[in-house]
Amino acid sequence: MDDYDMMDGAGDQPQVKISGADSTRVEFQLSKTNLSFANSIRRIIQAEVPTIAIDLVEVEVNSSVLADEFIAHRLGLIPLDSSTANELNFTRDCDCEQYCEQCSVTLTLNAKCQSDEIMKVYASDLVVDGRHSSNVGKPVITDPDGLGCLIAKLRRDQELRLTCIAKKGIAKEHSKWMPTSAVGFEYDPHNKLAHTDLWFENDTDPAVEWPKSKYADWEDPPQEGEPFDYDATPNKFYFEVETAGGMQPNQIVMSGIDALIWKLGGLLVGLGVREPEKEAGAGGYDGPRSPDMNMDGGTTPWGQDGYQSAYGGGGQTAYGGGGMTSYGGGYQTAYGGRTDYQGSSWQ
Amino acid sequence: MPGRTTKEDTPQDAQMEDAPTSAQVGEAQVEDEIEEDQEEEVEPQRVRILPGSTDTAASFEFIDEGHTLGNALRYVIMKNPDVEFCAYSIPHPSEPKMNIRIQTYDGHAVDALKKGLADLQDVCDVVAEKFWTKREEYNAEHGIAR
Ligand SMILES: [Zn+2]
Repeated sequence: MDDYDMMDGAGDQPQVKISGADSTRVEFQLSKTNLSFANSIRRIIQAEVPTIAIDLVEVEVNSSVLADEFIAHRLGLIPLDSSTANELNFTRDCDCEQYCEQCSVTLTLNAKCQSDEIMKVYASDLVVDGRHSSNVGKPVITDPDGLGCLIAKLRRDQELRLTCIAKKGIAKEHSKWMPTSAVGFEYDPHNKLAHTDLWFENDTDPAVEWPKSKYADWEDPPQEGEPFDYDATPNKFYFEVETAGGMQPNQIVMSGIDALIWKLGGLLVGLGVREPEKEAGAGGYDGPRSPDMNMDGGTTPWGQDGYQSAYGGGGQTAYGGGGMTSYGGGYQTAYGGRTDYQGSSWQ
Repeated sequence: MPGRTTKEDTPQDAQMEDAPTSAQVGEAQVEDEIEEDQEEEVEPQRVRILPGSTDTAASFEFIDEGHTLGNALRYVIMKNPDVEFCAYSIPHPSEPKMNIRIQTYDGHAVDALKKGLADLQDVCDVVAEKFWTKREEYNAEHGIAR
Protein backbone atom coordinates (compact mmCIF):
# COMPACT_ATOMS: atom_id res chain seq x y z
CA MET A 1 0.00 0.00 0.00
CA ASP A 2 2.51 2.55 1.06
CA ASP A 3 6.16 2.77 0.41
CA TYR A 4 7.03 4.35 3.69
CA ASP A 5 6.08 3.72 7.24
CA MET A 6 2.60 5.12 7.06
CA MET A 7 1.00 1.83 7.70
CA ASP A 8 3.24 -1.03 6.68
CA GLY A 9 3.88 -3.64 9.25
CA ALA A 10 1.33 -4.20 11.94
CA GLY A 11 3.79 -2.83 14.46
CA ASP A 12 3.41 0.67 13.15
CA GLN A 13 -0.30 0.66 12.84
CA PRO A 14 -2.36 2.59 15.32
CA GLN A 15 -3.59 0.37 18.09
CA VAL A 16 -6.80 0.45 20.05
CA LYS A 17 -7.45 -1.02 23.46
CA ILE A 18 -10.85 -0.93 25.12
CA SER A 19 -10.58 -0.51 28.85
CA GLY A 20 -14.18 -0.12 29.82
CA ALA A 21 -17.59 0.09 28.26
CA ASP A 22 -21.25 0.07 29.08
CA SER A 23 -24.37 1.38 27.46
CA THR A 24 -23.53 5.02 28.06
CA ARG A 25 -19.79 5.24 27.68
CA VAL A 26 -16.72 3.64 26.20
CA GLU A 27 -13.16 4.08 27.35
CA PHE A 28 -10.37 3.28 25.00
CA GLN A 29 -6.71 3.85 24.47
CA LEU A 30 -5.41 4.84 21.08
CA SER A 31 -1.69 4.28 20.68
CA LYS A 32 1.07 4.30 18.10
CA THR A 33 -0.32 7.39 16.56
CA ASN A 34 0.15 11.06 16.89
CA LEU A 35 -1.43 13.89 18.81
CA SER A 36 -2.68 15.51 15.60
CA PHE A 37 -4.58 12.48 14.51
CA ALA A 38 -5.90 11.62 17.96
CA ASN A 39 -7.14 15.15 18.39
CA SER A 40 -8.87 15.02 15.02
CA ILE A 41 -10.73 11.95 16.19
CA ARG A 42 -11.78 13.75 19.33
CA ARG A 43 -12.90 16.82 17.43
CA ILE A 44 -14.85 14.91 14.85
CA ILE A 45 -16.58 12.78 17.47
CA GLN A 46 -17.73 15.89 19.23
CA ALA A 47 -18.63 18.09 16.33
CA GLU A 48 -19.36 16.18 13.16
CA VAL A 49 -21.30 13.05 13.95
CA PRO A 50 -24.82 13.48 12.58
CA THR A 51 -27.67 13.15 15.05
CA ILE A 52 -31.34 14.08 15.21
CA ALA A 53 -32.68 17.03 17.18
CA ILE A 54 -35.78 19.19 17.14
CA ASP A 55 -35.12 22.11 14.87
CA LEU A 56 -38.46 23.74 14.15
CA VAL A 57 -41.31 24.23 16.59
CA GLU A 58 -44.75 25.39 15.56
CA VAL A 59 -46.58 26.60 18.63
CA GLU A 60 -50.33 26.46 18.37
CA VAL A 61 -51.20 27.11 21.97
CA ASN A 62 -48.89 28.07 24.75
CA SER A 63 -50.58 29.37 27.83
CA SER A 64 -47.82 28.19 30.12
CA VAL A 65 -45.66 30.65 32.00
CA LEU A 66 -42.74 29.98 29.69
CA ALA A 67 -42.17 31.90 26.48
CA ASP A 68 -42.45 30.04 23.18
CA GLU A 69 -38.76 30.48 22.46
CA PHE A 70 -37.84 29.16 25.86
CA ILE A 71 -39.81 26.00 25.29
CA ALA A 72 -38.50 25.66 21.74
CA HIS A 73 -34.98 25.84 23.06
CA ARG A 74 -35.67 23.18 25.67
CA LEU A 75 -37.23 20.96 23.06
CA GLY A 76 -34.17 21.31 20.86
CA LEU A 77 -31.97 19.94 23.62
CA ILE A 78 -33.98 16.77 24.20
CA PRO A 79 -31.91 13.78 23.08
CA LEU A 80 -33.67 11.88 20.32
CA ASP A 81 -32.83 8.41 19.10
CA SER A 82 -30.18 8.90 16.44
CA SER A 83 -28.89 5.37 16.11
CA THR A 84 -30.49 5.19 12.69
CA ALA A 85 -29.85 8.80 11.78
CA ASN A 86 -28.50 7.49 8.48
CA GLU A 87 -32.07 6.91 7.42
CA LEU A 88 -32.64 10.61 7.13
CA ASN A 89 -31.22 13.07 4.65
CA PHE A 90 -29.89 16.38 5.67
CA THR A 91 -32.66 18.78 4.74
CA ARG A 92 -30.27 20.83 2.65
CA ASP A 93 -29.57 17.78 0.49
CA CYS A 94 -33.15 16.66 0.32
CA ASP A 95 -35.28 17.17 -2.75
CA CYS A 96 -38.20 18.54 -0.80
CA GLU A 97 -39.17 22.19 -0.55
CA GLN A 98 -39.01 22.64 3.19
CA TYR A 99 -38.94 19.30 4.97
CA CYS A 100 -40.41 15.89 4.38
CA GLU A 101 -40.44 12.46 5.99
CA GLN A 102 -37.12 11.65 4.34
CA CYS A 103 -35.35 14.43 6.13
CA SER A 104 -37.39 15.00 9.26
CA VAL A 105 -39.35 13.44 12.06
CA THR A 106 -42.44 15.15 13.40
CA LEU A 107 -43.22 15.11 17.10
CA THR A 108 -46.36 16.56 18.56
CA LEU A 109 -47.13 17.63 22.07
CA ASN A 110 -50.60 18.10 23.49
CA ALA A 111 -50.87 18.80 27.16
CA LYS A 112 -53.43 20.58 29.27
CA CYS A 113 -53.61 20.70 33.01
CA GLN A 114 -57.07 19.97 34.29
CA SER A 115 -56.45 19.46 37.96
CA ASP A 116 -55.38 21.66 40.82
CA GLU A 117 -52.11 19.88 40.97
CA ILE A 118 -49.17 21.15 38.94
CA MET A 119 -48.81 19.06 35.82
CA LYS A 120 -45.39 18.18 34.54
CA VAL A 121 -44.85 17.76 30.84
CA TYR A 122 -42.11 15.29 29.94
CA ALA A 123 -40.29 14.25 26.81
CA SER A 124 -42.27 11.04 26.98
CA ASP A 125 -45.38 13.09 26.21
CA LEU A 126 -44.02 13.86 22.76
CA VAL A 127 -45.76 11.74 20.15
CA VAL A 128 -43.61 10.67 17.21
CA ASP A 129 -45.18 10.41 13.81
CA GLY A 130 -45.55 6.86 12.58
CA ARG A 131 -43.86 7.46 9.28
CA HIS A 132 -40.60 5.82 10.18
CA SER A 133 -40.32 2.13 10.85
CA SER A 134 -37.31 2.55 13.10
CA ASN A 135 -36.97 4.45 16.33
CA VAL A 136 -35.42 7.42 14.63
CA GLY A 137 -36.35 10.65 16.38
CA LYS A 138 -37.97 9.04 19.42
CA PRO A 139 -37.17 10.85 22.63
CA VAL A 140 -34.57 8.97 24.62
CA ILE A 141 -36.05 7.77 27.90
CA THR A 142 -33.64 6.19 30.33
CA ASP A 143 -35.04 7.02 33.74
CA PRO A 144 -36.74 4.22 35.67
CA ASP A 145 -40.11 5.97 35.61
CA GLY A 146 -39.99 6.24 31.85
CA LEU A 147 -40.68 9.95 31.81
CA GLY A 148 -37.72 11.51 30.06
CA CYS A 149 -36.67 15.12 30.32
CA LEU A 150 -38.96 17.63 31.94
CA ILE A 151 -40.11 20.18 29.38
CA ALA A 152 -42.46 22.45 31.32
CA LYS A 153 -44.88 22.61 34.22
CA LEU A 154 -48.53 23.61 33.80
CA ARG A 155 -51.06 25.00 36.24
CA ARG A 156 -54.80 24.45 35.98
CA ASP A 157 -56.11 25.38 32.52
CA GLN A 158 -52.70 26.09 31.11
CA GLU A 159 -52.11 24.35 27.85
CA LEU A 160 -49.30 23.42 25.53
CA ARG A 161 -50.06 22.39 21.96
CA LEU A 162 -47.21 22.30 19.51
CA THR A 163 -45.62 20.47 16.61
CA CYS A 164 -41.89 19.87 16.44
CA ILE A 165 -39.87 19.08 13.36
CA ALA A 166 -36.72 17.15 14.18
CA LYS A 167 -33.94 17.17 11.63
CA LYS A 168 -30.56 15.67 11.12
CA GLY A 169 -27.61 17.91 11.82
CA ILE A 170 -24.13 18.13 13.27
CA ALA A 171 -22.85 19.88 16.35
CA LYS A 172 -20.76 22.24 14.27
CA GLU A 173 -24.02 23.89 13.38
CA HIS A 174 -25.67 23.75 16.81
CA SER A 175 -24.57 21.95 19.93
CA LYS A 176 -27.97 20.33 20.33
CA TRP A 177 -26.77 17.90 17.67
CA MET A 178 -23.85 16.75 19.78
CA PRO A 179 -23.88 13.00 20.14
CA THR A 180 -21.79 13.13 23.30
CA SER A 181 -22.21 14.67 26.68
CA ALA A 182 -18.49 14.42 27.32
CA VAL A 183 -15.38 13.22 25.60
CA GLY A 184 -12.39 12.65 27.82
CA PHE A 185 -9.07 13.06 26.09
CA GLU A 186 -5.85 12.60 27.95
CA TYR A 187 -2.23 11.73 27.35
CA ASP A 188 1.01 11.71 29.25
CA PRO A 189 -0.49 11.27 32.74
CA HIS A 190 2.83 12.00 34.44
CA ASN A 191 3.32 15.17 32.43
CA LYS A 192 6.74 13.99 31.35
CA LEU A 193 6.41 16.09 28.22
CA ALA A 194 5.66 19.19 30.26
CA HIS A 195 2.76 20.11 28.03
CA THR A 196 1.02 21.55 31.03
CA ASP A 197 2.22 23.66 33.93
CA LEU A 198 0.41 22.02 36.82
CA TRP A 199 0.51 25.33 38.60
CA PHE A 200 0.07 25.32 42.37
CA GLU A 201 -0.13 27.81 45.20
CA ASN A 202 3.07 28.34 47.17
CA ASP A 203 2.02 26.70 50.38
CA THR A 204 0.21 23.76 48.86
CA ASP A 205 1.33 20.32 47.89
CA PRO A 206 1.32 19.88 44.12
CA ALA A 207 0.68 16.18 44.50
CA VAL A 208 -2.54 17.01 46.33
CA GLU A 209 -3.52 19.84 44.02
CA TRP A 210 -3.00 17.67 40.97
CA PRO A 211 -4.00 14.13 41.85
CA LYS A 212 -2.79 11.52 39.40
CA SER A 213 -5.33 10.36 36.90
CA LYS A 214 -6.30 6.74 36.77
CA TYR A 215 -4.16 6.38 33.69
CA ALA A 216 -1.02 7.19 35.66
CA ASP A 217 -0.71 3.52 36.57
CA TRP A 218 -0.61 2.60 32.94
CA GLU A 219 2.57 4.44 32.17
CA ASP A 220 5.98 4.47 33.82
CA PRO A 221 6.44 7.30 36.28
CA PRO A 222 9.43 9.54 35.69
CA GLN A 223 12.63 8.39 37.33
CA GLU A 224 14.32 10.53 39.91
CA GLY A 225 16.63 12.97 38.15
CA GLU A 226 15.61 11.74 34.72
CA PRO A 227 16.78 14.21 32.06
CA PHE A 228 14.10 15.85 29.96
CA ASP A 229 13.65 14.10 26.64
CA TYR A 230 13.39 16.79 24.01
CA ASP A 231 12.49 14.34 21.28
CA ALA A 232 9.65 12.66 23.08
CA THR A 233 6.18 12.94 21.60
CA PRO A 234 2.91 11.68 23.00
CA ASN A 235 1.77 8.42 21.49
CA LYS A 236 -0.83 7.03 23.86
CA PHE A 237 -4.19 8.73 24.10
CA TYR A 238 -6.94 7.91 26.54
CA PHE A 239 -10.46 8.56 25.37
CA GLU A 240 -13.68 8.39 27.33
CA VAL A 241 -16.70 8.88 25.14
CA GLU A 242 -19.98 9.36 26.93
CA THR A 243 -23.18 9.46 24.94
CA ALA A 244 -25.85 12.07 25.36
CA GLY A 245 -28.32 9.23 24.90
CA GLY A 246 -29.18 9.28 21.25
CA MET A 247 -26.52 6.86 20.08
CA GLN A 248 -24.51 3.94 21.38
CA PRO A 249 -21.08 5.14 22.47
CA ASN A 250 -19.23 2.84 20.11
CA GLN A 251 -21.46 3.91 17.29
CA ILE A 252 -20.45 7.48 17.99
CA VAL A 253 -16.80 6.58 17.64
CA MET A 254 -17.40 4.65 14.44
CA SER A 255 -19.53 7.39 12.94
CA GLY A 256 -16.90 9.93 13.84
CA ILE A 257 -14.13 8.06 12.07
CA ASP A 258 -16.49 7.49 9.22
CA ALA A 259 -17.26 11.17 8.97
CA LEU A 260 -13.53 11.86 8.70
CA ILE A 261 -13.11 9.23 5.99
CA TRP A 262 -15.95 10.79 4.06
CA LYS A 263 -14.65 14.27 4.47
CA LEU A 264 -11.35 13.10 3.00
CA GLY A 265 -13.11 11.20 0.25
CA GLY A 266 -15.04 14.28 -0.75
CA LEU A 267 -11.87 16.29 -0.98
CA LEU A 268 -10.16 13.62 -3.05
CA VAL A 269 -13.06 13.60 -5.44
CA GLY A 270 -12.83 17.36 -5.56
CA LEU A 271 -9.19 16.99 -6.54
CA GLY A 272 -10.15 14.64 -9.33
CA VAL A 273 -8.74 11.49 -7.78
CA ARG A 274 -10.22 8.32 -9.08
CA GLU A 275 -9.46 4.87 -7.92
CA PRO A 276 -8.41 2.55 -10.70
CA GLU A 277 -8.66 -0.54 -8.56
CA LYS A 278 -12.15 0.28 -7.61
CA GLU A 279 -13.28 0.75 -11.15
CA ALA A 280 -11.73 -2.51 -12.15
CA GLY A 281 -14.17 -4.21 -9.84
CA ALA A 282 -14.29 -5.21 -6.27
CA GLY A 283 -12.58 -8.54 -6.86
CA GLY A 284 -9.19 -7.22 -7.76
CA TYR A 285 -8.73 -5.09 -4.75
CA ASP A 286 -6.99 -6.76 -1.89
CA GLY A 287 -5.91 -3.85 0.17
CA PRO A 288 -6.84 -3.78 3.78
CA ARG A 289 -10.49 -3.25 4.11
CA SER A 290 -12.94 -2.78 6.81
CA PRO A 291 -14.45 -5.93 8.11
CA ASP A 292 -18.14 -6.32 7.97
CA MET A 293 -18.66 -4.03 10.80
CA ASN A 294 -21.74 -2.12 11.36
CA MET A 295 -21.96 1.18 12.98
CA ASP A 296 -25.22 0.88 14.70
CA GLY A 297 -24.78 -2.45 16.33
CA GLY A 298 -27.58 -3.71 14.19
CA THR A 299 -27.38 -6.14 11.40
CA THR A 300 -26.40 -3.96 8.52
CA PRO A 301 -22.83 -4.60 7.59
CA TRP A 302 -20.72 -1.55 7.39
CA GLY A 303 -21.74 -0.26 4.11
CA GLN A 304 -22.05 -3.45 2.19
CA ASP A 305 -25.50 -3.19 0.83
CA GLY A 306 -26.72 -0.19 2.64
CA TYR A 307 -24.38 2.30 1.17
CA GLN A 308 -24.65 0.79 -2.20
CA SER A 309 -28.25 1.65 -2.57
CA ALA A 310 -27.76 4.91 -0.83
CA TYR A 311 -25.77 5.96 -3.78
CA GLY A 312 -28.66 5.89 -6.12
CA GLY A 313 -26.89 3.27 -8.16
CA GLY A 314 -23.66 5.11 -8.44
CA GLY A 315 -21.52 2.15 -9.26
CA GLN A 316 -21.57 -1.23 -7.67
CA THR A 317 -18.44 -0.65 -5.66
CA ALA A 318 -20.14 1.37 -3.07
CA TYR A 319 -18.36 2.86 -0.19
CA GLY A 320 -18.20 0.03 2.27
CA GLY A 321 -16.98 -2.45 -0.29
CA GLY A 322 -13.48 -1.54 0.72
CA GLY A 323 -13.61 0.96 3.45
CA MET A 324 -10.04 1.76 2.74
CA THR A 325 -10.65 3.60 -0.43
CA SER A 326 -14.01 5.05 -0.13
CA TYR A 327 -13.51 7.81 -2.56
CA GLY A 328 -13.39 5.68 -5.63
CA GLY A 329 -16.07 4.21 -7.78
CA GLY A 330 -19.44 4.62 -6.30
CA TYR A 331 -18.47 7.51 -4.17
CA GLN A 332 -17.69 9.54 -7.18
CA THR A 333 -21.30 9.76 -8.08
CA ALA A 334 -22.45 9.81 -4.58
CA TYR A 335 -20.52 12.81 -3.64
CA GLY A 336 -22.97 15.59 -3.37
CA GLY A 337 -21.94 16.54 0.04
CA ARG A 338 -20.56 13.94 2.33
CA THR A 339 -24.06 13.53 3.44
CA ASP A 340 -25.02 11.29 0.62
CA TYR A 341 -23.75 8.28 2.37
CA GLN A 342 -26.38 8.90 4.90
CA GLY A 343 -28.87 8.24 2.17
CA SER A 344 -32.30 7.22 3.11
CA SER A 345 -32.12 3.64 2.04
CA TRP A 346 -29.88 2.38 4.73
CA GLN A 347 -32.11 -0.30 5.99
CA MET B 1 -29.80 29.48 11.02
CA PRO B 2 -28.15 32.84 10.93
CA GLY B 3 -27.58 34.10 7.45
CA ARG B 4 -24.18 33.78 5.98
CA THR B 5 -22.20 36.46 4.30
CA THR B 6 -22.31 35.63 0.65
CA LYS B 7 -18.94 35.60 -0.95
CA GLU B 8 -20.28 37.21 -4.12
CA ASP B 9 -20.83 40.43 -2.29
CA THR B 10 -17.21 40.85 -1.51
CA PRO B 11 -15.75 43.50 -3.75
CA GLN B 12 -12.90 42.10 -5.68
CA ASP B 13 -9.79 44.10 -5.59
CA ALA B 14 -7.74 43.91 -8.72
CA GLN B 15 -4.65 45.10 -6.91
CA MET B 16 -4.73 42.26 -4.48
CA GLU B 17 -3.14 39.68 -6.73
CA ASP B 18 -0.31 39.06 -4.35
CA ALA B 19 -2.46 38.65 -1.32
CA PRO B 20 -1.75 35.05 -0.52
CA THR B 21 -4.57 34.04 1.71
CA SER B 22 -7.97 35.45 1.21
CA ALA B 23 -7.94 36.66 -2.37
CA GLN B 24 -11.37 35.90 -3.66
CA VAL B 25 -10.21 35.48 -7.23
CA GLY B 26 -9.65 31.81 -7.91
CA GLU B 27 -6.57 32.12 -10.02
CA ALA B 28 -5.54 28.58 -10.35
CA GLN B 29 -8.29 26.15 -9.60
CA VAL B 30 -6.96 22.73 -8.77
CA GLU B 31 -7.61 20.96 -12.02
CA ASP B 32 -10.61 21.77 -14.03
CA GLU B 33 -11.33 18.48 -15.59
CA ILE B 34 -12.89 17.10 -12.43
CA GLU B 35 -16.51 17.64 -13.16
CA GLU B 36 -17.33 14.66 -15.24
CA ASP B 37 -20.99 14.54 -15.90
CA GLN B 38 -22.07 15.33 -12.40
CA GLU B 39 -25.05 17.25 -13.66
CA GLU B 40 -27.05 18.36 -10.68
CA GLU B 41 -25.49 19.13 -7.35
CA VAL B 42 -22.35 20.66 -8.64
CA GLU B 43 -20.34 20.64 -5.50
CA PRO B 44 -18.56 23.94 -5.07
CA GLN B 45 -14.83 23.45 -5.30
CA ARG B 46 -13.56 23.33 -1.74
CA VAL B 47 -9.82 23.26 -2.44
CA ARG B 48 -7.84 25.68 -4.50
CA ILE B 49 -4.22 26.50 -5.07
CA LEU B 50 -3.27 29.91 -3.90
CA PRO B 51 -1.51 32.34 -6.23
CA GLY B 52 2.24 32.22 -6.25
CA SER B 53 2.46 28.46 -6.02
CA THR B 54 4.81 26.36 -8.09
CA ASP B 55 4.80 22.65 -8.83
CA THR B 56 6.94 21.72 -5.88
CA ALA B 57 5.88 24.43 -3.46
CA ALA B 58 2.22 25.20 -3.20
CA SER B 59 -0.31 26.57 -0.76
CA PHE B 60 -3.80 25.16 -0.77
CA GLU B 61 -6.89 26.79 0.59
CA PHE B 62 -9.63 24.59 1.99
CA ILE B 63 -13.07 26.07 2.45
CA ASP B 64 -15.09 24.97 5.48
CA GLU B 65 -12.30 22.99 7.03
CA GLY B 66 -10.45 23.59 10.25
CA HIS B 67 -8.08 22.00 12.72
CA THR B 68 -9.90 18.67 12.50
CA LEU B 69 -8.65 18.12 8.99
CA GLY B 70 -5.71 20.51 8.96
CA ASN B 71 -3.64 19.12 11.78
CA ALA B 72 -4.13 15.47 10.97
CA LEU B 73 -3.49 16.07 7.29
CA ARG B 74 -0.37 18.04 8.06
CA TYR B 75 0.94 15.17 10.13
CA VAL B 76 0.26 12.59 7.46
CA ILE B 77 1.74 14.69 4.67
CA MET B 78 4.88 15.24 6.75
CA LYS B 79 5.38 11.49 6.85
CA ASN B 80 5.83 11.43 3.11
CA PRO B 81 9.61 11.33 2.50
CA ASP B 82 9.19 13.38 -0.68
CA VAL B 83 7.87 16.26 1.36
CA GLU B 84 10.32 18.82 2.57
CA PHE B 85 7.90 21.03 4.44
CA CYS B 86 4.27 20.97 5.39
CA ALA B 87 2.32 23.26 7.67
CA TYR B 88 -1.21 24.45 8.06
CA SER B 89 -2.86 27.56 9.38
CA ILE B 90 -6.22 29.12 9.84
CA PRO B 91 -5.50 32.68 8.73
CA HIS B 92 -8.47 34.25 10.42
CA PRO B 93 -10.90 32.69 12.89
CA SER B 94 -13.95 34.29 11.34
CA GLU B 95 -13.21 33.03 7.85
CA PRO B 96 -14.04 29.35 7.32
CA LYS B 97 -10.76 28.71 5.59
CA MET B 98 -7.77 26.53 6.28
CA ASN B 99 -4.50 26.77 4.37
CA ILE B 100 -1.93 24.05 3.88
CA ARG B 101 1.54 24.72 2.59
CA ILE B 102 3.42 21.87 0.97
CA GLN B 103 6.97 21.94 -0.35
CA THR B 104 8.40 18.81 -1.86
CA TYR B 105 11.91 17.59 -2.62
CA ASP B 106 10.56 15.68 -5.50
CA GLY B 107 7.23 15.53 -7.30
CA HIS B 108 4.22 17.76 -7.36
CA ALA B 109 2.84 19.32 -4.25
CA VAL B 110 -0.65 18.46 -5.47
CA ASP B 111 0.29 14.80 -5.57
CA ALA B 112 1.62 15.00 -2.04
CA LEU B 113 -1.70 16.48 -0.98
CA LYS B 114 -3.67 13.75 -2.70
CA LYS B 115 -1.45 11.12 -1.19
CA GLY B 116 -1.88 12.70 2.21
CA LEU B 117 -5.64 12.59 1.94
CA ALA B 118 -5.58 8.97 0.84
CA ASP B 119 -3.11 7.99 3.56
CA LEU B 120 -5.18 9.67 6.22
CA GLN B 121 -8.15 7.70 5.00
CA ASP B 122 -6.09 4.56 5.38
CA VAL B 123 -5.19 5.48 8.94
CA CYS B 124 -8.83 6.16 9.74
CA ASP B 125 -9.82 2.87 8.28
CA VAL B 126 -7.28 0.99 10.37
CA VAL B 127 -8.44 2.72 13.53
CA ALA B 128 -12.07 2.05 12.69
CA GLU B 129 -11.31 -1.59 12.12
CA LYS B 130 -9.25 -1.91 15.29
CA PHE B 131 -11.84 -0.19 17.35
CA TRP B 132 -14.55 -2.39 16.02
CA THR B 133 -12.75 -5.67 16.57
CA LYS B 134 -11.58 -4.66 20.04
CA ARG B 135 -15.06 -3.62 21.01
CA GLU B 136 -16.43 -6.93 19.79
CA GLU B 137 -13.77 -8.74 21.80
CA TYR B 138 -14.55 -6.68 24.85
CA ASN B 139 -18.24 -7.41 24.52
CA ALA B 140 -17.57 -11.11 24.16
CA GLU B 141 -15.28 -11.14 27.19
CA HIS B 142 -17.65 -9.23 29.38
CA GLY B 143 -20.78 -10.86 28.13
CA ILE B 144 -22.22 -7.63 26.84
CA ALA B 145 -24.89 -8.30 24.31
CA ARG B 146 -26.21 -5.51 22.28
ZN1 LIG C 1 -36.91 16.39 2.75
